[in-house]
Amino acid sequence: MIRWFCPEVLLVLTGVTLILADALIPPGKKEWLPRLSILLGIALFIFTIWQSGQPMPEVWANLFVTDGLSLVFKPFFVLCLVGVTLISVRYPMGREEVVRTEFLALPFFSTAGLCLLASARDFLAIFVALELVAISLYLLAAFHRSRAASLEAGMKLLVMGGLSTGFLVMGIAWLYATAGSTEFSRIILEQAGRPASPALLFAVGLILTGLAFKIAAVPFHAWAPDVYEGAPTPITAFLAIASKAAGFVLLLRIFCLGAFALDSVGWVFRPILLTMGIATVTLGTLAALPQRNLKRYLAYSGIAHAGYMLLALGTWGESGMGTVAGYLWAYLLATFPVFIFVQELERVHGNADMRHLDGLAQRDPGPALGLTLCFLSMAGLPPLLGFSAKLSVFTALWSAGEIPGLVVGVIMAVVGLGFYLVPIRAMYWEREPDVVPAQRFPSFLVWILLLAGAAQLILGFQPRPLVRLVEKSLAPMVSGNLQGK
Amino acid sequence: MNIALALPLLLAVPLVAVGAIALGASPRKTALWASWINLIPGFLVSGVVLRRGEIFYGPEGTNLREVFPVQFRLGLDGLSLPLLWLTLLVTVAAIGVARADVKRAMEYHICLLLVGLGALGAFLSLDLFYFFSFHEVALIPSFLLIGIWGQGDRTGAAWRMTLYLVLGSLLLLIALIGLVWAAPETARTLDWRVLTETLRAQPIPASQQTYLAALLIAGFGTLVSLVPFHSWAPGGYASAPAPAAMLHAGVLKKFGIYGLLRLALPLTPLGWRELSWIVGLMLAGNILYLGLASLAQRDFRWLLGFSSAMHMGTIFLGLISGTVLGLGGALVLMVGHGLSAALGFAVAGEVGQRAGTTWMKDLGGLATRTPKLWFYLMIAGMASIGLPGLANFAGEIMIFFGAWSAHPFLVGIAAWGVVLSSVAMLRAIRSIATGPVSSALDSRKGSDLNGFQEVWPFALLTALLFLMGLVPNLVLGPARPVLERLIQP
Repeated sequence: MIRWFCPEVLLVLTGVTLILADALIPPGKKEWLPRLSILLGIALFIFTIWQSGQPMPEVWANLFVTDGLSLVFKPFFVLCLVGVTLISVRYPMGREEVVRTEFLALPFFSTAGLCLLASARDFLAIFVALELVAISLYLLAAFHRSRAASLEAGMKLLVMGGLSTGFLVMGIAWLYATAGSTEFSRIILEQAGRPASPALLFAVGLILTGLAFKIAAVPFHAWAPDVYEGAPTPITAFLAIASKAAGFVLLLRIFCLGAFALDSVGWVFRPILLTMGIATVTLGTLAALPQRNLKRYLAYSGIAHAGYMLLALGTWGESGMGTVAGYLWAYLLATFPVFIFVQELERVHGNADMRHLDGLAQRDPGPALGLTLCFLSMAGLPPLLGFSAKLSVFTALWSAGEIPGLVVGVIMAVVGLGFYLVPIRAMYWEREPDVVPAQRFPSFLVWILLLAGAAQLILGFQPRPLVRLVEKSLAPMVSGNLQGK
Repeated sequence: MNIALALPLLLAVPLVAVGAIALGASPRKTALWASWINLIPGFLVSGVVLRRGEIFYGPEGTNLREVFPVQFRLGLDGLSLPLLWLTLLVTVAAIGVARADVKRAMEYHICLLLVGLGALGAFLSLDLFYFFSFHEVALIPSFLLIGIWGQGDRTGAAWRMTLYLVLGSLLLLIALIGLVWAAPETARTLDWRVLTETLRAQPIPASQQTYLAALLIAGFGTLVSLVPFHSWAPGGYASAPAPAAMLHAGVLKKFGIYGLLRLALPLTPLGWRELSWIVGLMLAGNILYLGLASLAQRDFRWLLGFSSAMHMGTIFLGLISGTVLGLGGALVLMVGHGLSAALGFAVAGEVGQRAGTTWMKDLGGLATRTPKLWFYLMIAGMASIGLPGLANFAGEIMIFFGAWSAHPFLVGIAAWGVVLSSVAMLRAIRSIATGPVSSALDSRKGSDLNGFQEVWPFALLTALLFLMGLVPNLVLGPARPVLERLIQP
C-alpha cells in the first residue's frame, strides 16, 4: 500500500530535510539546496508518471484511494512543483533572502497536500488535505514581507480562503447530518435510488460554493486578480495552476465519480454548473480585454479557462471527466511557461506591465516565439494543444445538447483570441522602446520557453500521448463509478 | 519507394524551409527554392492521380475505439488536384514578387511560407481535425503580415480579418462536430472519405441536415466572404502586402468553397438543396452589392478586394446549380480566379511600389511609362472581366449554362455582374494606364519590370491563365468523376 503514497511521503520528507538542512548547515555553504530540490522534484515527477502507467485501485481505510483520477493528477501537481521550484530559485527576494530555503520548502508541503487531495475519498480527508495546501499558500503569498502588495495578497487569500473553508466545513457538517457519514462509499450506498432531500442539496450547494472559491469561478472570483498580482510570481503560478486544479479534482471526485454522480442531485447542480460556466467564461474573457498587467491578465485568462472546464463538467457525462483532466494538462503546459517569463520580466523591469513586451520579437526572437505559441494555445488555436482541449469541451457540449453553453463558449473563444493577440501584437508589431534594458534572458529560460512552444505544437498536432495518459487512467473508472468499490 | 510519401513531403518542404530561414538561411532564396522544389512531389502525386484517380497516405484502418480518434491522413483526388497546383504555383509567384529588401525579411518569408503551407495542408488532409487545423495555421501569419508589412489602415484590417475568420472557423468547427456526431456511434470517424460513405448509406435526418448545412454555409461562407459575412475581405486585401493578398485571395479563400464541395454537398444534400435559395440571395448580394461597391472605389487595391469578393458569388452559383457542368465551372473559376486575383494583386503591389500610391486619380500613364506592367495589368483586368481565352471565361460560361435550368434569374444577375465588373475594371485601367504620366510615377523615377528577375512571376501567372482558358479540360478531366459522385442522389 505504502508504495502508492511514496510521492506524498517523499514530498514531506524533502520539505522537512530542506528546513533542517537550512538550520544546520552554516550560511554560505548551502547553494546546492535549491538544485537538490529541483532534482528531487524531477525525480518524483518521473516516478509519478511511471506510477500512472499502472492504475490499480486500492483503498486505504476508506479514506484514501489510488485510482485513475489520483494517478493522473499526482504527476500534474509534482510538475507544477518542479516549475515553481525552478523559478523560486531565481525569485528576487530582497531583504527576505535569508529565508529563501523556507520559500523553497513550503511548496513541497503544499504539493503533498495536493497529492493527498487527489486520493482522498472521504470529506474529512479532503478537508485536512485542503488545509495543508491552503495554509502553506497563505504563508507563501505573504512571504515577501517587505512588499506591501505581497502582504495584501496574503491577507486577501487568507480571508477568502477562510471564507471558502467555512462554506466547505458547513457543507460537510450538513452532509454528515443527512447522510450519516463523510465517506463517499457510504454516502453512495445511502443515497442510491432515493430522491435527494433538500438538506442534502443544501449541503452539496455549500460544498460547491467552497470549491468555487478555489477555482475562482464567478461569482466567487473577485479575489484572484488582486492576489495573483501581489503574490510572489512563483506562488502566483502555483495558485493559478495547482490550486485551481485542486478545486477541479475535487469537483470531479464529487460530481463525476463519487457521492453525487447521481441524477438525484444532477437535476439541480447540472444547470447550476452550466450557468456558472457561462458566467465565468464570459466574465473572464471580457475582463481580460483591458488588462495591461500580465499577472492580472493571466488571472482573468485563468478564470475564463475555469469557465470552459465548468461547462465540460456541467455536461454531466462520462466525457466530462477526461475533458476536464485533459484541459487542465493543456492549461498547465501553456500557462506555466508564461509565468516563468513573467518572473523574468519582473526581475528586469520591476513589474509585469505589458508594455515591456513591445518589440520583444526583434531583440529576443526565441522567447517571443515560445510565448506566442503558448498564448495561441491558450486561445485554442489549432494546431496547438489548447485547440484539442477546447475541441473536447465543445464536443462534450454538443453531444450533451447544451447549445447555450456551446454558443457562449464559441463566441468567447473568438473574443478570447482578441485578448490573446494583444501581447503577440505587442511583441511583433510595436516599435522597440528607446531604452532597452541591458539585462538579457538567461539562455536556459529561452530554451524552456522554446521547448514549451514546441510542446504546444507537437502535442497539438498529435495529442495522443496526453490523451493516453488521461484516458488510460480515467476510462476504467467511468464505467464502475457508481458501484462504490 | 512508396510514391505516396510525396504527399507528406509536400508539407515537409515548406516546413524545412521555415526552419532553415529561422536558423539563418537567406530568406528569399530559401523560400523561393523551397516553393520551386515543392513542384517535384507535386508532379509525382499528380501522375498517380491522373492514372489511378486518387492517392492516399496514412495509417490504414479506422480507430473508432479511441477517444480522440485523429489520424494523420493525406489524400488527393481529381477535385483537390487543381487546388494543389493552384497553391503550389501561386506560392511560387507570391514569393517571386516578394521584395528582397523588405524589412524583417526573415519573419516576412516565414509568414508567407506558413500561409502557403496552411492552404496545402487543408487541401490535402483527409482527417477533419487536420483539415480544420491546417487552415488555421495560416491565420496568425496573415495577421502578422498585414499588421507589420501592410499599408493603409493595417491595424484595423488585421484585427477585423483575424477575428472574423476565427468566428467563421468556429462556426465551421461546430458544424464539423455536428457532422461527425450525426454518424451512428459505432461508425463515427474523422476521415471525411469514410464519413461520406457512412452518411451516404445512412443519411442524416432531414431536419438535422438543414441546420448543419446552415452552419456549414455560415462557417465556410465567412471564409469565402459571402455577403453578409464579407466585410473583412476587401479591406484586408487592400491593406495586405501584395504576396499575402495573392496567397489569401488567390488560394486560401478557395478553402471555403472546397469545404462546401467536400462536405456540404455530399453529406447534407437535402439541407443544401433546402437552403439553396438563401445561398442564392447571398450570392446575388455578392454580385450586385459588392459589384456596385467596386464601382465606387477610388483605390485600385480596394477595387481588387471588392471585385475578388464579388466573383465568389459566381462560384457559388455553380455550387447551387446542381449539375456537373455548373460544379465543373465552379472548379475552373476557382482556379481561374485564384490566378487572376493573384496577378491583379501582384500588379497592384508593383504599381504601389513604383508610384507610392494606388489611388487611381493620382496614377496615369502607366502604359507609356511601364509597358510591361501595363500588359500584365491588362491581362489581370481582362481575366477578371471574363474575356474568352482566359480561365475565368471558361468557368463563368460553364456556370451560366449549368445553372440556367435551375436558376435562370440568378444567371441573369450574374450576367449583370460581368457588366459591373467590366465597367469597374475598365475604368480602373483607363485611369491607371492612359493619360499623361502622373507626377507620382514621374517623381519616383518609376521604372518598368526589370529583366527576367522581376517579370517571371507575372509571366507564369499569365501563361497559366491562358492555359486554363484554352484547355479547361486539364482541370475538368480528372475532376469529373469526383464531381459526378458529389451530386449523385
